[in-house]
Amino acid sequence: MAELNLIDKVIALEGVDLLKGLKPDQLAYVAAIATELRHPAGHVVLDPSSSLDALFVVLDGSVALTRDGVELHTATENDVLGAWALFDPSPMPVTGTTSEPTRLLRIGRDDFYELLSDHVEITTSVFGTLVKRFRKLVEE
Amino acid sequence: MRRIRVFWRSVYDVRPGEGVRTLCMALHMTCILFAYYILKPVSRALFLNKFDIDQLPYLYVLIAGVGGVLAYAYTKVAVRSSLAVAVNWATGVSLGCLIAIWWLLRFNLDWMLYVFNIWVSLFSIVMVSQAWLVAANVFNSREAKRLYGLLGLSAVAGAAFGGEFTARLARVMEPHNLLLATAGMVLLADVFLRIVAAQKNVNLKAAKGAGSKDAEFSFADIVQGIRKHRHLQVIIAIITITFVVDVMVEFQFNAMAKAVYSNKKELTAFLGSFYGLYLNLATFVVQFFLTALIVRYTGVGGTLRVLPVAVAIASGITIFIPRLGAAAALRLSEAAARYSLNRTGMELLYLPLPAELKNRTKAFVDIFMDRFGRGVGGMLLVGYIAWFEKDPKHPNLTRVSMLILGIAICWILLTSLVSREYLATIRRRLASRRLDLADARISVTGAETIAMLEKTAAEGTPRQAAYAVGLLAEAAGYHIERQADALGRRDSAECRTMALRVSTAVRYDGLIDVARRALEGEGDSVEQQCAIDYLMAVSPEKPIDAAWIRAAAADAATWRRALAAYACGRHSSGGPVLRELLHDRDASVASAACHSAGHLADRVYFGQLVARLGDRAVRGAAVEALARYGARMCGSLSDVLTDPKAPAAVRRQIPRVLRLLRDPKSVQALAAGLDSADPGVRAAVVKAMNRLRVSAPELEMPAEAIQLRLRYEVAHSFRVHAQLSALRDTARPRSAGALLVRTLEDRFHESLEQVFRLLGLSYPPDEIYNCWLAHCSGVAERVTAAHDYLDSKLSRETKHIVMPLLDTPSRLFSHGRDLFGIDTKTAEAALRELLASGDMWLTTLAIGTAAELKLSSLTADIVKAGEGAGSDVVQVARAAAASLS
Repeated sequence: MAELNLIDKVIALEGVDLLKGLKPDQLAYVAAIATELRHPAGHVVLDPSSSLDALFVVLDGSVALTRDGVELHTATENDVLGAWALFDPSPMPVTGTTSEPTRLLRIGRDDFYELLSDHVEITTSVFGTLVKRFRKLVEE
Repeated sequence: MRRIRVFWRSVYDVRPGEGVRTLCMALHMTCILFAYYILKPVSRALFLNKFDIDQLPYLYVLIAGVGGVLAYAYTKVAVRSSLAVAVNWATGVSLGCLIAIWWLLRFNLDWMLYVFNIWVSLFSIVMVSQAWLVAANVFNSREAKRLYGLLGLSAVAGAAFGGEFTARLARVMEPHNLLLATAGMVLLADVFLRIVAAQKNVNLKAAKGAGSKDAEFSFADIVQGIRKHRHLQVIIAIITITFVVDVMVEFQFNAMAKAVYSNKKELTAFLGSFYGLYLNLATFVVQFFLTALIVRYTGVGGTLRVLPVAVAIASGITIFIPRLGAAAALRLSEAAARYSLNRTGMELLYLPLPAELKNRTKAFVDIFMDRFGRGVGGMLLVGYIAWFEKDPKHPNLTRVSMLILGIAICWILLTSLVSREYLATIRRRLASRRLDLADARISVTGAETIAMLEKTAAEGTPRQAAYAVGLLAEAAGYHIERQADALGRRDSAECRTMALRVSTAVRYDGLIDVARRALEGEGDSVEQQCAIDYLMAVSPEKPIDAAWIRAAAADAATWRRALAAYACGRHSSGGPVLRELLHDRDASVASAACHSAGHLADRVYFGQLVARLGDRAVRGAAVEALARYGARMCGSLSDVLTDPKAPAAVRRQIPRVLRLLRDPKSVQALAAGLDSADPGVRAAVVKAMNRLRVSAPELEMPAEAIQLRLRYEVAHSFRVHAQLSALRDTARPRSAGALLVRTLEDRFHESLEQVFRLLGLSYPPDEIYNCWLAHCSGVAERVTAAHDYLDSKLSRETKHIVMPLLDTPSRLFSHGRDLFGIDTKTAEAALRELLASGDMWLTTLAIGTAAELKLSSLTADIVKAGEGAGSDVVQVARAAAASLS
């Protein structure tokens, strides 16, 4: 399978809730720091014993999310794993293991912070999304 | 001799460039007060001469009621217009009224005297307050601190001369004819004001016609504030009682003056001398020689107690000697103490209130409370005369004196409560560190406050102690050394920092050991910087010398290098080291070096600072440092801004520097950047100009360059719209085409925003911004209102190109074609344009979209677009070319 180009990455990132408020050209900056990963089946993507330092988007394949051996959910194409890891390094309380050969898009926290410091308009937009999310939570 | 010099400097410190402004403003004040002190005695003397004394309380009530309403209405109207317009109207209306009143007074109409007296009260509110408002807009806060004393003296001189003028001329001519002299003074005041307004950097058109704070309060807020704050209740009570007594004392004085002077000319002359010369002289003496002394030694409570005690003593004398001399002494002591001591005491009393509540309350008090108090005083007199006086036309003034004495005793008791409440509030505010002496318009503090701050400095938490010592250092005449020494030895970086800071200011050298210790290891950076400042102030030879700086700059520890960078900005031999540190890889060191370079503002560092604008971790410090060079570097900054070879990251930061320089040169430099080929630079330039337009409205914007850019931006918007329309129907979900359409929609919106931003440079920025918000809201009513506004406000030339852009999308085609010859396009033509646009993201999307639409006719354009582009574009171009071949 061919490597993702910039447009494919942007299209994949459009599904990330945290990046919903970004314009396509701003998403392109995020896409530029996103790296494509290919994992065989059985690879642990999320480990509850270690802190998470990146967000993942499933491009194809699937990731099984389990807690104490019980499967909670299977993330498939366009699903996002560890969306809030960009701001919160706490480990996820679940284990994420690829169920089949899987392609993921990874955005590292440090790269993301550098991007935010270079592009204040992206920072504003991400904070706007966060505030909306909090407001919604409070209202609920 | 030194004291005289210091005193003279405190009164007269006019610096180059301020002469004409200060002289004309002072003469304006003199003329206005001169005019007022003709009107005041004439209006009152005519009334007293015409009516019996029992009518006077009714006049007080009328002045309080009608005058208050009119003054409030004036404030509400004036706050909506510019100061220049308000001044012109006030002058014109005053002149018209003066002539009309002068003419009507010849007919001996009773009601006219009521009208005249109410109008005079309004004159004092409008013209005198307006003169001070003009002064506030003519001088900045630093100039005001130096020059307001001089303006105050001019006002006192105007009042004294006006009163004396009235006293002399009233004896030889009909008093009402003096109104013509008043009109002359108002006219002369206007001439001086016009000279002031014509001066450079004076823009009365941009200022509001009344202090906006005067109109910004709601009764509900005030009532709530009064219910919640006991301190506020005390303030309201003391203000009310002050003005009740004022009215009673004035009544007694007028009654005795009327009894002694039956001739209206003599009465006018007496009142002119009394109010103009004697009262102002007494106020001046008390204010200049006694107020600071009394406040310092007796505190707020003591200061506020002087007035009721003086009234009690004087009214006691009047009981036994009911003569005009005693009543005049009572009136003189009451009014002089109220204008000076009481005013200062009240300022201090407001001090512990939260700033926001203080401003709102003061506005309410300025507009309503004095009139309310006078109204209550008038009503009390009406009731007293009706119930207790057998012969209302000849009231027993001994009994009035006894009444005043009784109220004065209650007032003295109230001041004790004031004192206690003041201290309680200050204690609470101190505990929460929300007391700000710098906010106060006075520079003296009371003995109780000083004692309390000393106690807090000794016993409070480190934070409170540091705060208290900081406040004590601001108190005039206070010797801070002992407090600073004790604070510097506390085990808290915050305390030591404050101790070093205040010790630096007074050159106290007892903390050298503390400062040396602070530099020994890595610690609080602010404390270390204060230690360097302190050591260089009290011990310039050592330890901070060239060798120390060189050693620190070469140290591996970043905190040492950052300190060296800081010291370089304060030491004469730091230059070469500073140039090295400006290149430091560590952001904290480089930022400290930038601050020092900005502090020195030497051209030699300019290039390095500009280069640092490209480094996101240091750019904030570099922007600040470059701004400290001032407007002299605008030319050099403009060169970088317009140099296409300079890095875009640097060029985009230059407008951030220029917007901080409120100078015509910075506008000129920014205007040069309006033509930049880089849209990011252009956007930054327009944003910076928007900011300057708001922060420095007096600066003239380059109309021609703005109009040219506006035309370009409107044409660009039509072009983007044409491309968007051509591609909208071709886009499928989650495709390059869909991304391209979204991007073009964003670009159209951004371009429209630029158009509004450019309009905001030529038209009222607030209103244009509101129009933009309304346009974006999509709410039909708001959009229509915004378009109507623009239609009526924009010039014909601007309207011709901007209004069509705001039309419905379906009509944009025809407008684009008619105005700029932009035709409708096919998807292929639109993509071809985008492939050649030079915008990397649009090019990438156009390549992807062309591949999706299988437009093989664009293959050559795609290959060309991919040449020399970044790897991302090349990757997309290769994939597209492969799919099209």
